[in-house]
Amino acid sequence: MSAPLVRAEKLSRSFRLRQGLFAGKAEMMAVCDVDLAIDRGEAIGVVGESGCGKTTLGRMLLRLLAPTSGRVMFDGQNLDDLGRLDLRRLRRRMQMIFQDPFASLDPRRPVGRQIADGILIHNLADRSDIVDRVAELLKLVGLDPSHASRLPHEFSGGQRQRIAIARALATRPDFVVADEPVSSLDVSVQAQVLNLLADLRAEFGLALLFISHDLHVVRHICERVVVMYLGCIVEEGKAADVFRGPAHPYTRALIAATPSIRPQARRNKIVLSGELPSAIKRPSGCVFRTRCAYATTTCSETVPTLSRFGEGRTVACLRAAEIAANK
Amino acid sequence: MLYYVVRRVGVAVGLVWFVATFVFLAIHLVPGDPAELLLSQGGVAPDPAAVTDLRERLGLDQPLLHQYAAYLTALVRGDLGTSLLDDHPVASEIALRLPRTLELIGTAALLALAVGLPAGTFAALRAGTASDRALSALAGIALSIPVFVLGTVAILVFAQKLRWVPAGGYVQFGRDPLQHLLVLAMPASTIAVGLAAIVFRMTRSSLLEVLGRDHVRAARARGIAPARIIMHHVVRNALTPVVTVLSLHLGSLLGGTVLVEYVFNWPGLSGYLVRAVELRDYPEVTGIVLVISILFVLLNLLVDLLYAVLDPRVRHA
Amino acid sequence: MSRRATWHLLVPGIIVGAITAVALVVPLLPLPDPIRMDIPARLLPPSVGHLLGQDEYGRDVLSRILWGARTSLVVAFVAAAAAAIVGTCLGLFGGYFRGLVELLTVRTAEAILCFPPLLLALLVVTLLGPGAGTLITVLAFLYAPGFARISFAETLMVRALDYVTAQEALGARPERIVIRTILPNVAPALLVQFSLTVASAIVLESGLSFLGLGVVPPAPSWGLMIRGARSTMEQAPWLLLWPCLALTGTVIALNMLCDRLRDVLDPRAQGRQSSWLARGAARILPSVAGSTQKPSLLRVEGLTIEITTPSGARFRPVRDIALTVAPGETLAMVGESGSGKTLTALALLGLLPPAARIIGGTALFTGRDGRVRDLNLLAEPELRQLRGDEIAMVFQDPGNSLNPVHRIYHQLAETIRAHRPANRSAVAVQAIGLLREVGLPDAERRAYAFPHELSGGQLQRVMIAMAIANGPRLLIADEPTTALDVTIQAQILDLLAALKVRSQGMGLIFVTHNLAVVAEIAQRVCVMYAGQIVEEGPVSEVFARPRHPYTAALIASVPEGGSGRLVAIPGTVPLPGALARGCCFAPRCPRSGPECTADLPVLERISSGRATRCIKWRELA
Repeated sequence: MSAPLVRAEKLSRSFRLRQGLFAGKAEMMAVCDVDLAIDRGEAIGVVGESGCGKTTLGRMLLRLLAPTSGRVMFDGQNLDDLGRLDLRRLRRRMQMIFQDPFASLDPRRPVGRQIADGILIHNLADRSDIVDRVAELLKLVGLDPSHASRLPHEFSGGQRQRIAIARALATRPDFVVADEPVSSLDVSVQAQVLNLLADLRAEFGLALLFISHDLHVVRHICERVVVMYLGCIVEEGKAADVFRGPAHPYTRALIAATPSIRPQARRNKIVLSGELPSAIKRPSGCVFRTRCAYATTTCSETVPTLSRFGEGRTVACLRAAEIAANK
Repeated sequence: MLYYVVRRVGVAVGLVWFVATFVFLAIHLVPGDPAELLLSQGGVAPDPAAVTDLRERLGLDQPLLHQYAAYLTALVRGDLGTSLLDDHPVASEIALRLPRTLELIGTAALLALAVGLPAGTFAALRAGTASDRALSALAGIALSIPVFVLGTVAILVFAQKLRWVPAGGYVQFGRDPLQHLLVLAMPASTIAVGLAAIVFRMTRSSLLEVLGRDHVRAARARGIAPARIIMHHVVRNALTPVVTVLSLHLGSLLGGTVLVEYVFNWPGLSGYLVRAVELRDYPEVTGIVLVISILFVLLNLLVDLLYAVLDPRVRHA
Repeated sequence: MSRRATWHLLVPGIIVGAITAVALVVPLLPLPDPIRMDIPARLLPPSVGHLLGQDEYGRDVLSRILWGARTSLVVAFVAAAAAAIVGTCLGLFGGYFRGLVELLTVRTAEAILCFPPLLLALLVVTLLGPGAGTLITVLAFLYAPGFARISFAETLMVRALDYVTAQEALGARPERIVIRTILPNVAPALLVQFSLTVASAIVLESGLSFLGLGVVPPAPSWGLMIRGARSTMEQAPWLLLWPCLALTGTVIALNMLCDRLRDVLDPRAQGRQSSWLARGAARILPSVAGSTQKPSLLRVEGLTIEITTPSGARFRPVRDIALTVAPGETLAMVGESGSGKTLTALALLGLLPPAARIIGGTALFTGRDGRVRDLNLLAEPELRQLRGDEIAMVFQDPGNSLNPVHRIYHQLAETIRAHRPANRSAVAVQAIGLLREVGLPDAERRAYAFPHELSGGQLQRVMIAMAIANGPRLLIADEPTTALDVTIQAQILDLLAALKVRSQGMGLIFVTHNLAVVAEIAQRVCVMYAGQIVEEGPVSEVFARPRHPYTAALIASVPEGGSGRLVAIPGTVPLPGALARGCCFAPRCPRSGPECTADLPVLERISSGRATRCIKWRELA
């Protein structure tokens, strides 16, 4: 097996927050000790609810945010070792698609120019060829090339998201991080954009990190899935396996809580009690124990690590095997 | 809350120090020898003996740090130096005149609020109607008239032609209250016109903005009476931007008193400043500028604290 | 930019332009020398050679006014331009790079703003003496911090937006990002600030000249002219008129220009008086033929809403809505953006925005006392009695639906007291009881918190508590869980179901765009598209056997259940003003034919409890 394209090792990120005059600065762990490997052409989904750190993780992989500890390797190169110029050059190969189609495009420039930005910055084509390249990209995402001179506000949300995809693909990247790319779109438009992403992935062999809170979307488009809670990875494995038989109590609760359009898909509901604990006062031991139906005293003493749970699966739960046996 | 107060007071103290230092440095930042500059009139080179004399008086011959230390210690004691022209302490003159300027500003602010707040509320509740448009246009014009133009024209019309109020002649409140108030009326009103227009605009736009907010709609959905919604959910929330904008305009307000006091011969601090500038009495000028600027910082601090009272989110930040 | 806005901008723009043009061409005009004195002719009224008369030194007034314009405008523009360049650079770089750069640039600038401008100017004038050159320097120094502060704030805001992060991700150099991406987006605010600064500079310069500390005589300046005219106010009051008019007129024009610029670049609704503030009479609406079925909790027929845009255009985002809710039933209204579902929900309670109004239809509501009333015909005071009492509403964003400056308890108590007079302790007991009932943990303590201290899920529970406080017959929930996490959503949906069971026959209208949520909680559903109901019926049947192509397509585009390509609906939702003839879904429908675009299809009852607006529904079976 070849080396993974992107590898994160013990990646952590914390933010310092002011707590009050005498309490001093508090530390909020957004991402806690994450290990992740993404192979060439692989699509990995990162799911979790608010505060789980998935967006922060995505930005750290692209070095748009520096980790507080740990490292990110892209194609064997440690991003820490790269100087500013080299890092900028490397960005050609890794791109990002953002959630809000209305905020991700500069409202004052024609979309054609924005798509061409990456090509120009990295000198990937002559000035005379740029227009053709942009037209090609617009056709690729299903838009009319003659609209390249229009401004973003003349397009709908779904179309703007396609333009954002075209911009990301302009530099022929190997790796794309999509941060909730369809969450702001209507269901019918979402389908269009998801189909587009799947097609483009197949055509260009892109590696994709798909961040979303919507389990169904992730299951549809990703081969592997990573479940995060309060900055930690709690479960990882093949999407089909994880959804069919979730091992971690949080994953089980998440799947049970996700509404389904098909009545037979509704099993006994697990309604998770309580709320997300404060990111500043993280629970000791397993971060999920405050809401877990299976928590014991050991769970508050030991921090569970990701351990093997079957073919290509890992779970961070001390009682995973027990729970699976008793199901 | 305590944290917020302490932080704000700390910032204010820092700003006061900055103001004092800046005023101190002003004379040294200007190109050329300060004493020479002060004595030169219309391009004629001053008498060298006079220059040396002045330098000694102002302490400019001492090393810079010395001067700074002396300056700060004197400041803490309340000593602002002595006037170049009649040798009496600057601080005493300021102490005499400052209350009169404060009286003028205070009256003007009260008048402005008394007119601007109700008018702004009225216009906001009738947004889009003819009365709203008329009031807004009026406010636009009132904003644009420079304060000294308004004052001069007011004297022409009300004092000279109509003879409703005296043109000048300050009298202490203790001695003749009615006359005092009559004399106060015009300068205070002149300042109040522009300020009222600003308060009007801010109140109107702030109220309109709050009226469109979700929590107002949600309150309506709960069946709360309109009067209560306006009092508890609209006006209360709309006050904060009004307070902010007032603080922003305090600067021009304090500057505006200079012109108004000059035009109406109101014996306050700012009018005195003009005379000092004309006569290039540097210690006097720096003393007054310092005091007014510190006043400005303190007023801003007050506004910040008021902010915290009005909006709990600020307290807990 | 609409025509009205352009016109509004043009008027002050032309005036300012004219003044500027005059100031520029003044040296070329055949005017008498503004400095030449003519003492014997002092204070003469207008004459042929001197159109506006002569001043106290016999100088021509008109000439001095025009030359004065030049002086004032030159000083103001140059100072403002210098301030703009310096201040903008400081703010841009301070805002983008933060850290030490910010400290040195923006924080220093803010400290300078501590000084009242006129005083600082006077301080410098004391040292350097009056004169135009000094004036320009001082003014530039005074106004630069204002620009720095604005460009800093705008840069901070823009920098956080995704399209700037996208540039970083593309690998652009920081300088390129600042100049090419941030600056153009910050420019509008700076433009407004520039025109404000010019106006302020003119006033400041005139003020200083008026004091004799600005422009040095005999150079003409409006401030100096007013100063001179003041001394001869008794004999020649009209001399005061011209410079005052010129100065005031210029400032008014500049301020107007600035206001209009602000409106264009940051358009906010000019504000229209809301219906609840005006004292409106009861509305008379065209009646719709009622059906003979027995009255249910709510029966809506033919509801149509019209919106009037600021430019006067009208369109109908909601047309011909018909729905029924039986006691104890949950009806889901599902549709994508632009379907009109939220407007419909708001219309039922009379909470439409000022620009919208109901122009047709009936909404028959059966109250607690058994009386049936048409909500559309009720006047505001009667509607207000129903709101929060018999009909309650829960909104999408709980954080924004509560007043941030009042504690939770007071807002809850207010709701209780609005409909039933009660003493303090009774209200307190009821309030805490309600909060416990909706599952708010630690209810006694949390009740006295401010909204910003609670999480989204907790706030929504509070909103629900307020909604059920008076035991409503009908609860309308507009996307109540859209802004919440999935696990919290599950809790809230559970809560709503439990509350329904505990209440006696409370009906629930649940507005959402999420088909899965509909399947979880509703018994009946009506599907909306482009302002109309296209299908209605029991949830299980509609989802299993849809009878409208849109419903079918919607179900097929949900990424649930397995792999393969999702069925995407080509095209986009039509804008309300651009609807085609006939069926509004026809342009995107795979089954549409010429008969679909001929006439608008009606909502046809195809069996008991089911209706569809597709004339080809049989083909879908």
